[in-house]
Amino acid sequence: MMREHALRIVAPVALAVVLLAAWQMVVTIYDVPPYLVPSPLRVAQAMIEDRALLFASLWVTVQIALTALAIAIVAGVAVALVFAQSRIIEASLLPYAILLQVTPIVAIAPLIIIWVEDTHVALVLCAVVVAIFPIISSTSVGLRSVDPGLADLFRMSRASRWQTLVRLRIPSALPYFFAGLRVASGLALIGAVVAEFVAGTGGQGAGLAYQILMAGIQLNVPRLFAALVLITLAGIVLYTSVGVASHVLLTRWHESEMRPDR
Amino acid sequence: MRAGDFVALLGPSGCGKTTLLRMMAGLVAPTAGRVVMREHARAAMVFQSPTLMPWSRVAGNVRLPLDLAHATREDADAAVRDALALVGLSAAGEHYPRELSGGMQMRVAIARALAVSPAILLMDEPFAALDEFTRHRLDDDLAALWHARALTVVFVTHSIQEAVYLATRVVVMSASPGRVAADLAIDGPHPRGNGYRGSAQFAAWCARISDVIAPP
Repeated sequence: MMREHALRIVAPVALAVVLLAAWQMVVTIYDVPPYLVPSPLRVAQAMIEDRALLFASLWVTVQIALTALAIAIVAGVAVALVFAQSRIIEASLLPYAILLQVTPIVAIAPLIIIWVEDTHVALVLCAVVVAIFPIISSTSVGLRSVDPGLADLFRMSRASRWQTLVRLRIPSALPYFFAGLRVASGLALIGAVVAEFVAGTGGQGAGLAYQILMAGIQLNVPRLFAALVLITLAGIVLYTSVGVASHVLLTRWHESEMRPDR
Repeated sequence: MRAGDFVALLGPSGCGKTTLLRMMAGLVAPTAGRVVMREHARAAMVFQSPTLMPWSRVAGNVRLPLDLAHATREDADAAVRDALALVGLSAAGEHYPRELSGGMQMRVAIARALAVSPAILLMDEPFAALDEFTRHRLDDDLAALWHARALTVVFVTHSIQEAVYLATRVVVMSASPGRVAADLAIDGPHPRGNGYRGSAQFAAWCARISDVIAPP
């Protein structure tokens, strides 16, 4: 058990070290210019030198993603609860939710940015549009995935609609909700970055996407790489946090979070 | 059917045993005819699988029908304690269902049904998925419980032995069309006692019911 756990951490870290070393060697031996492919050490150097700029931008982007995720959770769960109330409501609204999902955010973002005066609000809105669908779809599937035996039991006990919702359907939906939330957490960050690209807002409140854009124009490729690494790290932290929350809440009863040794 | 009866509904798959039980439970409406029950007779059901809420502890599961009926806290506490004691699981209240064996989960489901002091207990092949040893033990416990608490039970099964062992009356149903093939009052001592499964009386009843199902 312990060895298995250690392997899951040690193996990918070791691979990363090997790949980074190889990258460094190739760049050094062939003398690749940093504006084409910077060496890992150059990227690290850029990250340290530009830390004030980069981390301020990272915070802007993460804030947008987190706000969007929070709104997507509240609104997405609300929509799923409405869907769960009647088949007619679900049947009439679901196509539009799907419409929202299949329309590429890059195509809608300019419109949202034109319509919404406050750029920050517009960026959040774009990220919400991307992140909300998995929460709606998985939560509404979860609300319907009730053990039929338990549903019979609730009917025989003459449970009210409200009792059935709170004591049966919502607990049944929790694992599905978390599965959707994992996907949504990554999408919220992607949505935030894409929207920033489209908006291209600079100045004080510039996000990481803007730094990538500018670094690209200035051929400051080491900084571009540094910004990329930060976005990726933020995404991993976000995804992992949702995983931990799901584990803490479901570990005692749900199969998906059970330890394999039980 | 009289109060205190233990009726076994016996028959092959698809003969309508479960449907009949679900009609008694009020879960499906009969296409013709009527289910007549004495006024406000409260039915409780034990399903083929334990159907426990995995997110709730054992005590919470047993408590569920009481909570849904808005029982007071003290009443519910007492009923849960009594019901768990009846099935021999007083110590398991704080466990989660998945920490228990299949047989113990079934006991929890029986405790949940008994917690509401039902006028009639409906059981739908409750032990069919358990191994033979566990099944025999649960059959014995159920028989003792029925005797001690003067329960009225309708028990669906496809095991002739189980039906003869438990019931005061065995209703044999046949498939396509689903109808009652025989209605037999089983005599003999209750509770059955250790030697009953090996007795000639038991074997004779089983043979007679086999003949009804598949005439020689």
